[in-house]
Amino acid sequence: MSKRTVGVFFGSRSTEHDVSIVTAISSIIKPLELSGKYEVEAVYIDKRGRFYSDPQLKDISLFSSGRIDDFLAKSKPVLMRIGNGLELVKPGLKSKSLKIDIAFPATHGTHGEDGELMGLFEMANIPYVGCDVASSAIAMDKALSKTIVRANGINTSKFVWFYADEYISGNKTAIDGQIAGLSYPLFVKPVHLGSSIAITKVANPKELIQAIELAAHYDNKIIVEEAVNNLTEVTLPIMGNEEPRPALLEEPLTKDDKFFDFDAKYLRGGKKGKGAKTAAGTQLNGYSKLPAPLDEKLYSEAQATALSVYRTIGCSGIARVDLLIDNKTRKVYFNEINPLPGSLYAHNWRAAGVSGVELVNKLIELADQRFAKAKDLQTVFATSYLKQY
Amino acid sequence: MNLRRIVYLYTPKFPRTVIYMLQTSEYSSNAYLKWLWRTQDFSLVQHRKTLKLTKYARLLLFLLSGGMLIEIAAGIALIVAGIITGNIWLWSFAPAVILAYPIIASHLIVLPLEAGRLLVVKPKSKKKIRHSESVFAGHPAIKIAVAGSYGKTTMKEVLKTVLSQGLKVAATSANHNVPIEHAKFAANLSGEEEVLIIEYGEGAPEDVANFARVTHPTHAVITGLAPAHLDRYKTLDAAAKDIFSLAAYLHSQNVYVNGESAAMKPYLHREYMSYGANGLDGWKVENANLGISGTSFSLHKDKINLQLHSRLIGRHQIGTLVLAAVLGLKLGLSAKQVEAGVAATEPFEHRMQPYELNGAWIIDDTYNGNIEGIKAGTELLSELPAAKRKIYVTPGLVDQGGETEKVHRQMGKYIAKAKPDIVVLMNNSVCGYIKAGINAEKNFTGELIIENDPLKFYTSLDQFVAKGDLVVMQNDWPDNYS
Repeated sequence: MSKRTVGVFFGSRSTEHDVSIVTAISSIIKPLELSGKYEVEAVYIDKRGRFYSDPQLKDISLFSSGRIDDFLAKSKPVLMRIGNGLELVKPGLKSKSLKIDIAFPATHGTHGEDGELMGLFEMANIPYVGCDVASSAIAMDKALSKTIVRANGINTSKFVWFYADEYISGNKTAIDGQIAGLSYPLFVKPVHLGSSIAITKVANPKELIQAIELAAHYDNKIIVEEAVNNLTEVTLPIMGNEEPRPALLEEPLTKDDKFFDFDAKYLRGGKKGKGAKTAAGTQLNGYSKLPAPLDEKLYSEAQATALSVYRTIGCSGIARVDLLIDNKTRKVYFNEINPLPGSLYAHNWRAAGVSGVELVNKLIELADQRFAKAKDLQTVFATSYLKQY
Repeated sequence: MNLRRIVYLYTPKFPRTVIYMLQTSEYSSNAYLKWLWRTQDFSLVQHRKTLKLTKYARLLLFLLSGGMLIEIAAGIALIVAGIITGNIWLWSFAPAVILAYPIIASHLIVLPLEAGRLLVVKPKSKKKIRHSESVFAGHPAIKIAVAGSYGKTTMKEVLKTVLSQGLKVAATSANHNVPIEHAKFAANLSGEEEVLIIEYGEGAPEDVANFARVTHPTHAVITGLAPAHLDRYKTLDAAAKDIFSLAAYLHSQNVYVNGESAAMKPYLHREYMSYGANGLDGWKVENANLGISGTSFSLHKDKINLQLHSRLIGRHQIGTLVLAAVLGLKLGLSAKQVEAGVAATEPFEHRMQPYELNGAWIIDDTYNGNIEGIKAGTELLSELPAAKRKIYVTPGLVDQGGETEKVHRQMGKYIAKAKPDIVVLMNNSVCGYIKAGINAEKNFTGELIIENDPLKFYTSLDQFVAKGDLVVMQNDWPDNYS
């Protein structure tokens, strides 16, 4: 029996373009090939949104060395053909097409993780890994996800959201009025961006304006929210469809009074991977404590909150839920949900007993299960509506 | 042969590949030529390692490149001569001369090698070895020769570690176990050593007998017998006879043999002292406890009781530790010194060496092995607990000669008996035999993975394991066996 082809889609028009490359090559393509179960096709979306497919795109050095620019200049983008599943069409005198049996999105941020790519796979009617269109779109909008989660009885810190245009071109006073109802310090965030890009912690109204201007460079929708005091920040990767399975609660190590930003997540963390163990058995990997050193009750509560968020948003496949804990009040708040965690949070899954190979295999299995289930649903409904015309 | 493979012969990389092949074959013309003749795609040769530009390699590379240039020049000269003289045969022959240069030069390179060996290396070595014989003969120390098909280096290192607690001990280093290395070892002795430990690296008939004649051992340890170097010995019996010539040299006195090596049984003599996991010479082993952090047991005789713990892992190591302990006591060490010596022993690189990866335990036993080593490794996998999966990885064994199929089928049976959850085999000439051996054991229910790219697998092991896994990786399959 021939192997099914998994298309790994990465890159795209996003501020997290580079993180996506690492996720795709190190945490998806490598273990998928190692599993020996699939043919793996790397589908790279460049910063202008053009799709490329070539075995050379599986080599991280093509990107890290900067040779990617030459490569793209010499290569022709592929076309996407839908109708008979999803096909990559390599143009030319003798055009070649390659059928993608399963899609594995590895994009972070805009034009991918936000549901756009999932829409393509839905239209092509092929199984794909991870959250579906709706849950991806909700998860990628920090204001929308908080609104939904809050409506379902889960704690969030107080927040205000608005459009950048609104703030800059006239309605500033009304928005300022809403913000005045919040207590400093505040966080200002672009709602659609991940990896902590353009997030600022502000202590007073003067800093607030600068932070909003920064966020407005990246997104037209901005959220301003209260900071949680006596903070412990934790994150929980979750995998599954109807029966989600948690990995381990992880506590990012933040710089003094700062938060877990892009640098801590991807730059410092990647280079300080040696690890050490605390007396309590928690693994210190240079950028986080794994598992988070919470007492049993608080750990269970945080885990239950995260699982509840996962179900509320309607996630499937994989996601990571970020929580904030006030150590004094022991109150757990939902912070945000990431429908495609960077590098799949494979380090956390390994510590939870799931290897990189098992993780990608399981995610494909979940994609197949969801696809099979969706097939049973009726998509046509006979009516006499057209007869009136 | 496709065009890409042919073109590679004319690239600047080819001479380096040739020298790499010589280097990896340890400059043995025979092994090199066999590899050269069976290689179809030279671009794939430097897969796992690359050429180390040592002084010797540089010289050979220079000679090889020079030879190639001379041949090309000769071809051009033929063309010119043909044109000048109008001899069509001369210049039609010339392209063949030019095109054949990679093939001719890669064969002719063994000539300077053999000439150098015959005219320089051999006479010098002979002189050094002759001198070392007089050094060994006149040295007053107890001289322990360690011979056998496997386990020699571990035995030597354990003996050295334990006996050094109370005696001045010198031992041949690493696996430097051939006459010229023995000679270098002898040249560095001060004469004040109380114990010399000399490892015998047999490889062909009469080797061990010759080693004994030169090193004058007073004690012998024979660690085991298994098919190895059968390309030269041809049969296991021939290898056994050579190894046991060491016992004959000592008239069966002070000869210690591994009682757990089944293949040695037909060659044992009642005067030999047999060591193993049960004990030695009246010393009994009790309360053996095996774990990933090491091996513990008590050793007692009459009213003396030793509590021993070593970081070496595996039941098969108990015999080695027992011999070192008992020999230490016989040579005058106190019980405390022996206990401290055993506690100081630790795994050697790639020999049952445990390390942690992503919370999984990996037991690295990738030093080239034999069927007895496989038995020990699979038994260890079976015996140690794993919170999650038990995984066994091997490419198979090299140098098994006519026994290849039989040995690998047996290997498959040992693997299946350990009941691993996953077995990873490398896609090579012995993979089918191992698979047949595994399938012959009906109780194997694990997953079998055949990996096409061993290097990729080993370097991506972190993707394959997670917390709670236990992985035993045995043996290596270097480029020259591909």
